[in-house]
Amino acid sequence: MTDTTPPALRVDDLTVRYGERPALRSVSLRVARGEVVALAGPNGSGKSTLLRSVASRLVATEGSVRVAGETLDAMGPVERARRISWMPQEEPPGDDVSLRDYVEYGRYAHTSRWVPPSPSDRALVDWAVHEVDLDGLADRGVLELSGGERQRARLARTLAQDTPVMLLDEPTAHLDVGHQLDILERVRRFAVQRSRAVLLAVHDLNLAARYADRVIVLSHGRLRAEGSPDAVLSSELLAEVWGILAELRRDPVHGIPYLIPRLAPAESGTPRRDGRPFRVHVVAGGGSGVGLLRSIVDHGWTPSAGVLPLFDTDSEAVRELGVPAAEEVPFAPIGPEALRRMDELLEGADAVVVASFPVGPSNLANLEHLLPWARRRALLLVDPPQGAWDFTAGRASAIRAELLASGAERCADVPEAVRWLERRSTTTGAAAASARE
Amino acid sequence: MGSPSLGSEDARAPIPPRHRWSDRWVALVLVVGTVALASVSALIGQNWLPPVAVFSILLHNATGGWLGSACGGVAPSAALCTIWTEVVWDARMPTILVAVLCGAALALSGGTLQGTFRNPLCDPFLLGLSSGAAMAVSVLFTFEIALANQATVLPVVAFLGALVPGLVVYAAARRTVRGPEALVLTGVAMSALFSAVLATFLLLNPSGSVQVSFWLLGNLQGETWERVGILAAVLLVGGTVLALYGRELNVLQLGPEVAESVGVGAQRTTRRLVLLSTVVTAVAVAFTGVIGFVGLVSPHVVRLMVGPDYRRVLPLAALFGGFFLLVAADLAQEIIPQVFLPVGIPTSFAGVPFFLYLLYRRRPTPG
Repeated sequence: MTDTTPPALRVDDLTVRYGERPALRSVSLRVARGEVVALAGPNGSGKSTLLRSVASRLVATEGSVRVAGETLDAMGPVERARRISWMPQEEPPGDDVSLRDYVEYGRYAHTSRWVPPSPSDRALVDWAVHEVDLDGLADRGVLELSGGERQRARLARTLAQDTPVMLLDEPTAHLDVGHQLDILERVRRFAVQRSRAVLLAVHDLNLAARYADRVIVLSHGRLRAEGSPDAVLSSELLAEVWGILAELRRDPVHGIPYLIPRLAPAESGTPRRDGRPFRVHVVAGGGSGVGLLRSIVDHGWTPSAGVLPLFDTDSEAVRELGVPAAEEVPFAPIGPEALRRMDELLEGADAVVVASFPVGPSNLANLEHLLPWARRRALLLVDPPQGAWDFTAGRASAIRAELLASGAERCADVPEAVRWLERRSTTTGAAAASARE
Repeated sequence: MGSPSLGSEDARAPIPPRHRWSDRWVALVLVVGTVALASVSALIGQNWLPPVAVFSILLHNATGGWLGSACGGVAPSAALCTIWTEVVWDARMPTILVAVLCGAALALSGGTLQGTFRNPLCDPFLLGLSSGAAMAVSVLFTFEIALANQATVLPVVAFLGALVPGLVVYAAARRTVRGPEALVLTGVAMSALFSAVLATFLLLNPSGSVQVSFWLLGNLQGETWERVGILAAVLLVGGTVLALYGRELNVLQLGPEVAESVGVGAQRTTRRLVLLSTVVTAVAVAFTGVIGFVGLVSPHVVRLMVGPDYRRVLPLAALFGGFFLLVAADLAQEIIPQVFLPVGIPTSFAGVPFFLYLLYRRRPTPG
């Protein structure tokens, strides 16, 4: 099947320069009728620049923009405004006209100065106001509206323009979660039912994945990736373009990918006395380390963990928080490779905390391996869980006693462990700091 | 659509009525008020004439002789009736009408400039347009250049003079965004320059100085029906075109980018509107000199009455400006007995406090 009709929006090799600096480099894209395409990319990646130059708000240095095969270059503002509508991210507050009059500005290109707006124009304005859920406020002054309401009023004005191509720059900025979903739902329905081509810039990748047919990722003014949300949103791309570690999951209902973003671990948190980051190694398992790791990250300290069995709750937390960890395959005894990694991490640690977890044959090596470290590192043992915890015929209890005898300290729970770490972080490095002074 | 309403609109207090007046009523009141005041103003002058005679002369001449008798039958002699008719119809009436038309022209120009530059402080006087026009005209007076047809040449010369500050202000507004005060300061700076040039002219030829000094504060003496005709014609054409740009001015309030995106050619529109304002201002200045603040005050007063929609503001501002300048003209004649003040003095007394209020009021913060 060959489709000979030109796409609703076709952009070829668009290049925009601000002075010498190229803000957009040779970007090409197509948007079909009834299709919603999301433009994603970090701040300054060129999303707004792309929308503005497609909307003829910026003069592109090179390239062309065509709507349904027609180039916009030779067109006057009215002709353009009948083909492309543009919802800017920001606009001056303007006059306190009624919301209805404001939305009617979108009809400018369709009405004449000699004839008052026709009933169909008025109906379209009322419909647009209804679409953005502002019916009751049509006679209010726009300056009386809240930020979110004004955002929706802008969208209504864009809808009232009734163009085959719509460009929306951050249509969900300033909106609460409910209205974000609601507005994008309506935009999507509008695009499909009236076969409009929608190109929208969004920051929220989950919203992009959920409401866009395709996602275009811009990075430093270049088109970095393009395709279905599924194909485009990969951990590698997110790390490369946004510098985040993201966990990608799949919406169990819609099968849409969604992600839980984390910042890549910062190199330095609240520093030690000598200004270096305070490093804490956590020995945990079965979810016993989650709260502790979270607190360590929140304090700005630098955690590490292990040895953890892969796929256990602690192991997932470590991945989410971007914490370096020694790991072992599940249900297997801890092997030499994992222990070597643990030694590396212990070597770099200022303090070591053993969380409260049951010990069995598979993770006993975790405790055993700490024995030579008890005298070399500040070591804290959180009291083991209530009830049965030692499934090693007393071996684990014996090691605990031996660790305590070698200088390890003990505490009752995680808050107490955090207080201990707070004390350690202020004293660690004091010697180095005073030596420097 | 049937989707549940998400906002908190429903919980909000009932919508308060917008305290705005019907534009038709405002227009009607202004027209009736201006006509009534114009009739009463015909009584004002150096000599007191019987009101019956004055009103009959007005009625008789305004209806082309259909209604009323020549002097209402109160004139002692036919010769005196002829003189009365000349005073009322050929001296006082042109002055009254020039005041009304000139007020309308300045108000329209001020409203348009405020809208075009999105700047509440704009006024043909504050932007230097009036001073530019006055300077050009004063060149003719100081050098006593004899004019074959003063009434038609003066407006053209005034326009050429106003074009200089018009272009400067247009260029300054394009560079902006330095806040509304910057544009006005540009205008004030140019006014200062023109004043310096004027002062130089006066020193070169002091004999023309009396006439010129009147120009600087607005002079409604010596108006003729010819001037009324020219002013009315320019205002009818220029004013109608300006008033038709209400839609564009409305959209331009959202900035040139948004305006372009809905189809308004922002730059082209701005150029046209500034040019037209300059023309309308120049003709007014050519016949009356520099009258400040009418163009500033009128659109703002009208906005308070009917809201910010330029489709209503511009025509009503013209009506209000006419009424306002007529009041000022009457006050200029009546405040000090036997002294004919320049009309720019009362408008400044009213306008300067208003200007300061606009300058220092709390700007509405976008929320």
